[in-house]
Amino acid sequence: MDRVTLLSLAAFIAPVALAAQARPTVPHDSVRGAIRVVDVRARTLEVTTGVGFALRVVRLQVPAGVPITNQQRGQHEPIRLAELKPGDVVRASFGARPTGFVAYTIERVGRMDAGVHSTP
Amino acid sequence: MTRWWIALMAICVAAACRRLQPGDPVRGLSAAERAQFDSGRAVFDSVFTPEKGLGPLFNANGCKECHEDPAAGGTGDEVERHATAFHANAPPGSRMCDELAAQGGFVFQNHVTPLLHAALGIDSEPIPSAATAVGRRTTPEIFGFGLLDAVPDSEILAYADPDDRDHDGISGRPNRFFDGRLGRFGRKALVPTLREFNDGAFSAEIGITTPAVPTEETVAGTPIPPGTDPAPDPELSDHQAELATTFVRLLAPPEPLQMSREARQGRDVFIRVGCARCHRPVLTTGDSPIEALRYKKVAAYTDLLLHDMGPNLGDICLALATPTEFRTEPLMGLHLKKQFLHDGRASTAEQAVEMHGGEATKARDLFRALPAGDRAALLAFLKTL
Repeated sequence: MDRVTLLSLAAFIAPVALAAQARPTVPHDSVRGAIRVVDVRARTLEVTTGVGFALRVVRLQVPAGVPITNQQRGQHEPIRLAELKPGDVVRASFGARPTGFVAYTIERVGRMDAGVHSTP
Repeated sequence: MTRWWIALMAICVAAACRRLQPGDPVRGLSAAERAQFDSGRAVFDSVFTPEKGLGPLFNANGCKECHEDPAAGGTGDEVERHATAFHANAPPGSRMCDELAAQGGFVFQNHVTPLLHAALGIDSEPIPSAATAVGRRTTPEIFGFGLLDAVPDSEILAYADPDDRDHDGISGRPNRFFDGRLGRFGRKALVPTLREFNDGAFSAEIGITTPAVPTEETVAGTPIPPGTDPAPDPELSDHQAELATTFVRLLAPPEPLQMSREARQGRDVFIRVGCARCHRPVLTTGDSPIEALRYKKVAAYTDLLLHDMGPNLGDICLALATPTEFRTEPLMGLHLKKQFLHDGRASTAEQAVEMHGGEATKARDLFRALPAGDRAALLAFLKTL
């Protein structure tokens, strides 16, 4: 399996998990994309991701206590949910719950307009 | 015996020197690569039915339905709809472009399968009222795209001048995918790699799921009704998707036609009036596992960057691209084209030049002011590409 396929799979685990929502198990998946909406009060994030022209939006609940970090020069500095902005590129791990996807970790890796050099 | 050998050699030389035809692979492939190209063509030529996974939302029933003229990988007469919402006055820190991905965007399919029609009573995917623009998109020729895929990011970024620091009025800037990687494919340079361009197309254009895109498109954001997509997912294996991409990757760019003296003069005019500031005549590929694509000069006539083309051409936004920004269209294969610009509104290259605006205004005006001979020479040059 080549790297692109792996990247694509990583980006698209979310919809697979959606299909598996009814299962009793809690898969641990990840997504990388640009923040579309941050709702601090509801503690939710929407992340735009996809492959080519096939775009998807992954909605994540972000319970208090979920580690949110900013990756800068190899360091992971803790930040608050309110510091995330639309257009931030994030990598999030999450699991499927009956109420939807719940974030386990969120890492800001850059901004869309500035580019991100690290591999997804 | 010697005569036979000479005849055989002549045949071999003639075969090697034969002009590449549209749809041919690049020269220099190994036997294994050639076999993959042929296998990939079979996937590319496949016609999908609902039972084989077509739809339930789709623009075409296979790659070749659109990419058919003059050969597999060429263009077609289909026009599809892209729609997004652009908020020019979005507050700082928010995105101006909403690709309407949560509402089924940005590709809104023109057709539905009978089962989806029966379930929802629709003939095409509805465009949400939130859209601020709908863009029409013609089918691009994809000859030579494997070479464009092999151009290093560093070469593209080297041409970027987002703040126009050299004050030439040209400020190409990169578009980026949602994960921050540099984009290059698509009229707005959204997609970073050829594989993703193709995998995304299987989903967005044909409604075919793959391991890379395992879920169907939604109907304006709502999952498709149960029972409307009988084929099990993924509807195409990773191997088949990879073969289709290999076919596209190895398609040779169309060979330019032989230049007359007038066309050679036109090449100089092309550079003199400033066309080449965006339509960069040559890009160079980087390292590639395929020798035939490795460190090659490509007469692409593009910088793969976004440029403001003025309000008359503007339509949708996409990622970082504003409505008026478009990627410089590659001019390789221009002699094969029958319609021009992203939506096919121009029926000749001359009309297309006349419709350039924005950053291209100065070059367009210089074109308009050319003496008749120079103007004819430039157009003669374009017809050889």
